[in-house]
Amino acid sequence: MGLVGRALTESLATVAVCLGASLGLAPLNAAGSSEPSSQYWSFRPPTRPEPAAVRTAWASNPIDAFVRQALREHGLEPSPEASKERLLRRVCLDLTGLPPTPEQAASFLSDPSPHAYERLVDSLLASPHYGERWAQKWLDVVRFADTDGFERDGYREHGWRYRDYVVRAFNSDKPYDRFVREQVAGDELFPASNESLLATGFHGAGPRHVTSGNQDKEEARQEVLTEMALGVGQGLLGLTVQCARCHDHKFDPISQEDYYRLESFFGATELKDLPIASEEEIAAQEKAVAEHEARVEPLKAQLEEIEEPFNTQVRERKRAALEPAFAAALEIAEDNRTEEQARLAKEAESQIKPVWYEIVPLMPPDTRRHRADLRQQLHALELHRPDPPAAAFAVANLEEAPPSHILQGGDYRRKGEAVSPGFPQAVGTLGLEAPSVGRGRRSALARWLTSERNPLVARVMVNRIWEFRMGRGLMRDPNNFGLLGGMPTHPELLDALALRFAGEGWSVKAIDRLIVLSSAYRQSSEMDPKQAAIDPDNRWYWRAHRRRLSGEAIRDSALAASGRLNRSLTGRPVRIPIEREVYDLIFTEAEPDNLWPVTPDRHQHDRRSLYLLNKRTVRLPFLANFDQPDTMTSCSVRQTSTHALQSLSLLNSDFMQDQSRSLAGRILRHCGESDTDCQIRRGFEFTLARQPTPAERALAGSFLRSESGALHDFALVLLNRNEFVYRP
Amino acid sequence: MNSSTDPSDAATLGATSRRDLLFRAANGFGALALQHLLAQTALAQTAANPLRAKRPHFGATADAVIFIFNVGAPSSMDTFDPKPLLNRHAGEPLPESFGSVGGQFTDGTNPILGTPWRFRRYGQSGLPVSELFPNVARHVDDICFVRSFVTHSVVHAPAMYEVHNGRLFATHPSIGSWVTYGLGSESENLPAYVVMPQPEGTPEGGTSCWSQGFLPSVYQGTLLRPGPNPILHLKRPAGMTEARQRDMLDLLQAMNEIDSGPLDSEMQARIAAYELAFRMQSHAPEAVDLTKETDATKRSYGLEQDHTREFGTRLLLARRLVERGVRFVQIYSGGGPLSMQWDAHKHLKQNHEKMAGHSDVPVAALLQDLKQRGLLERTLVIWGAEFGRLPTSEAGNGRDHNPHGYTMWFAGGGVRGGQAIGATDEFGLRAVDRPFIMRDFHASILHALGLDQNQLWYLHNGRHEKLTDFGGTVIKDLFA
Repeated sequence: MGLVGRALTESLATVAVCLGASLGLAPLNAAGSSEPSSQYWSFRPPTRPEPAAVRTAWASNPIDAFVRQALREHGLEPSPEASKERLLRRVCLDLTGLPPTPEQAASFLSDPSPHAYERLVDSLLASPHYGERWAQKWLDVVRFADTDGFERDGYREHGWRYRDYVVRAFNSDKPYDRFVREQVAGDELFPASNESLLATGFHGAGPRHVTSGNQDKEEARQEVLTEMALGVGQGLLGLTVQCARCHDHKFDPISQEDYYRLESFFGATELKDLPIASEEEIAAQEKAVAEHEARVEPLKAQLEEIEEPFNTQVRERKRAALEPAFAAALEIAEDNRTEEQARLAKEAESQIKPVWYEIVPLMPPDTRRHRADLRQQLHALELHRPDPPAAAFAVANLEEAPPSHILQGGDYRRKGEAVSPGFPQAVGTLGLEAPSVGRGRRSALARWLTSERNPLVARVMVNRIWEFRMGRGLMRDPNNFGLLGGMPTHPELLDALALRFAGEGWSVKAIDRLIVLSSAYRQSSEMDPKQAAIDPDNRWYWRAHRRRLSGEAIRDSALAASGRLNRSLTGRPVRIPIEREVYDLIFTEAEPDNLWPVTPDRHQHDRRSLYLLNKRTVRLPFLANFDQPDTMTSCSVRQTSTHALQSLSLLNSDFMQDQSRSLAGRILRHCGESDTDCQIRRGFEFTLARQPTPAERALAGSFLRSESGALHDFALVLLNRNEFVYRP
Repeated sequence: MNSSTDPSDAATLGATSRRDLLFRAANGFGALALQHLLAQTALAQTAANPLRAKRPHFGATADAVIFIFNVGAPSSMDTFDPKPLLNRHAGEPLPESFGSVGGQFTDGTNPILGTPWRFRRYGQSGLPVSELFPNVARHVDDICFVRSFVTHSVVHAPAMYEVHNGRLFATHPSIGSWVTYGLGSESENLPAYVVMPQPEGTPEGGTSCWSQGFLPSVYQGTLLRPGPNPILHLKRPAGMTEARQRDMLDLLQAMNEIDSGPLDSEMQARIAAYELAFRMQSHAPEAVDLTKETDATKRSYGLEQDHTREFGTRLLLARRLVERGVRFVQIYSGGGPLSMQWDAHKHLKQNHEKMAGHSDVPVAALLQDLKQRGLLERTLVIWGAEFGRLPTSEAGNGRDHNPHGYTMWFAGGGVRGGQAIGATDEFGLRAVDRPFIMRDFHASILHALGLDQNQLWYLHNGRHEKLTDFGGTVIKDLFA
């Protein structure tokens, strides 16, 4: 059985037959046609649809006309507008990832003007937290993390600069076509700009397969190419191109040749850290490093001195235990060894090398303590090692691109026909040429992606924006505009948005604004059994989609509520303290005493979750429990599962205990010890940005006035409440 | 629909095999079984629990799995796959007909290394086991050895990923997550999928070995450690008593009810999750509390001996977890520093005697204990690794990696014991008779659990992802 279950394959085969020639693969054609080979809707340019002539008070903008029309066709009515409190919370969480501050709440809730909401929206779009919120979404799609993943999971010294580039790009409303061009080929197209160099971190954002031991270079290279093709395929084109790596795509008009032609655009591209620091910065850094080394050196020397006799002891013991041939080879003077003896001697050297766990047990207890103490001092000093000179986590071109081949079964050892860069035939060349020289390949790809004739790129992005704000994509899976992705619920709306996006300067903020100002967005999320009977999944948007917050947003919200959130923007990733149980999961064969050097400045620990060091193999349980993606593959929509480990994290973790204590302290500062009513009111304002209802006041009051009713516990309850962890 | 286990199509706890089993064995722990059942019934009323037990696709022979993974790769020809020619030709090169050999650090041109251990035949089946596992050997009549597994990397981490998730990369959910996704949990007070790594450290593949990948986090493997705080964040903060927490939860739940209409299964699920968390705080410590175990049991697992105490404790915990309805226990022998792995590139003898010394008595006790309690029938025990080791030598006294043919074994859960399936060549280098790849391994485990590999899928990034991808062959002979 192939890709999917038998029943499914059969039903899809039927679909494919019905679509007939429209899905047929064009025969191999190296030159490529300007016209799309496929008639499937997503490969055809968007058409300019007429908005339905729905004129009601509800339809406040063009989006609403389309939504209203679909609702009507399905016998549904839109829901009433959400309460002002809920709308406030919704739009703040959506646009900035943070709950409203008491000030935002006070100013919006007391503003009777019909333009109050619009003003709020504009202030949120202008907030620097807007770019942070978008960055999290974009980084999910490009599967960004600060480490390589897999066994070695090495730290990427400069990876975070790509993350910051993304934050800045969304904050400055960089036109999306420019954003795409910079990420795909910023180094080629805008060589004078460091910012564009940083953008190319896009290609290396995903995992990188580095293991210890011998590794096949060609295999590793193939993995890098695959990740690059995936980034463009899924992230920008919304196509499951990876399915065509081993065979022609089973459902979409993407041939295996298409796939390797796409990969061939990266034939000359290699991942590289490129310096962007000025000469003065480099000189200053070198000086600082020299000073640092001078501080570290004496400690290192002391450690060596302590370990030396034990190293010798172990070395001698291991030397005595060598197999005779190895021992003999080692006895022979280096210059007199035959080739075989040299090989044996080299291996013998590595065999007799002492390892920490061999020498430490030999030490008397006070020596062991002394050594541990010195190592601690060393680690403490190393926390202040000067940062390396700034570099871009970027890509560069090789002089010559090695030939690209179709790989049979996706196996790098089974090279088939040679291929050169080429655009997927289903879409066509759009009148552009794909060069075969090394330099400029990615520029051509970037131009093709952002051509006004490209049918996918704008559609895919407006659908991401829509899904981000509305809670459900017009295309359910934003990473799949192929056959298995199904049809959009509102094809005309999708096209209208795509044309507007590309036609009016590719402004993400403009589309965001259009969506969140629509009546469709502003609906209540209240359940209505009658309408739910018609449309249980709310495909037609008869109400707003309520959503569990991401782990990152829950953590950020708790920090905001407790008053501790450090709102500074961008910068090096922060290592917050982790539980012993988590520390023990960091794989190492080395001495495990400095695997997680916590960022020394405690104020940094209260940064937004976006800035926490994201190590692929060591997930922070608080975030992972709330379905943080594993960053090994692209995540277009966050999962939301509900389980007891989340409750345990929210009740018992040090983090939540800290936050509830701080929140209680914040309440006390405003209300004092005895004013329970004030405490309840403030508690609700700080967490939910609203006043308690009488019922809530009564519940909270009887809790706080009871014997066991600690304010800290009340604070923790507020931070655990369904309403707090949901976007209404 | 984005998954093969749509909540509406699976009857709540239709198959009550484990519950029946608990009653059958109720003499030993009647109170526990009753308590268990009551808790289950309460939760079964909550429709929105994604972990509720689900009916398998067809008749299962196993309800639970204990997968003992031996990190670093034990040698097959020194444990369960005897090769008499090794000692006869020790010191000689492999015959030229064997061609070039892919190891990690060696290429097969080193001389053949004889095995330092003698093999003896055991049980009615007369299957041979080396001196390294004299206690496990007593159970050969319950064990099926498959001597012809193949993985596709000579490097630890990728091969580990292949054994755990079917790919050489850490991009897919582990088998424990797939099984939890497919079958849910029969314990409402404990996690469904529990992982117990070596205290000294994780395998080379790291936490990715037991990752839930792109599956929702509810299917994650939950780390469990022996001792008073077995699960992260389980322990109440200092000063927080059970009663005080209950008061707090009562307030929380009253407020959560305000946020939640009667039709609101999502909010109701969240309310239920808090109650489960509350119960877990007492049930999980109970599950790992070994004081109720008899001295004889503890002795049998080697808890009185320094070299077996640690691993014995974890295996005893594995039995207690399975007894309480945990679906999948992933347990590691070895991890962290090289001195605590089976990775015998040099000093094979010392290394394997040490590592087998840690595990022989406990593994044998686990089989014995499960059998005695009537649990072995429905519990599939797997003993395996990422690959085996080469017949040729490294460093004169060690062996390099060998993914070309190696042994894993199975017991319980419908497995027909006392047999060996597949074979490697006369030196134990390559699988020559019925080679099996990891897709076959996984398909077979799913089969024992009543899961059809093609019906267990999850739509991710436009692809119907499955554990066995293009499909594996169930090793039918494995089962009775």
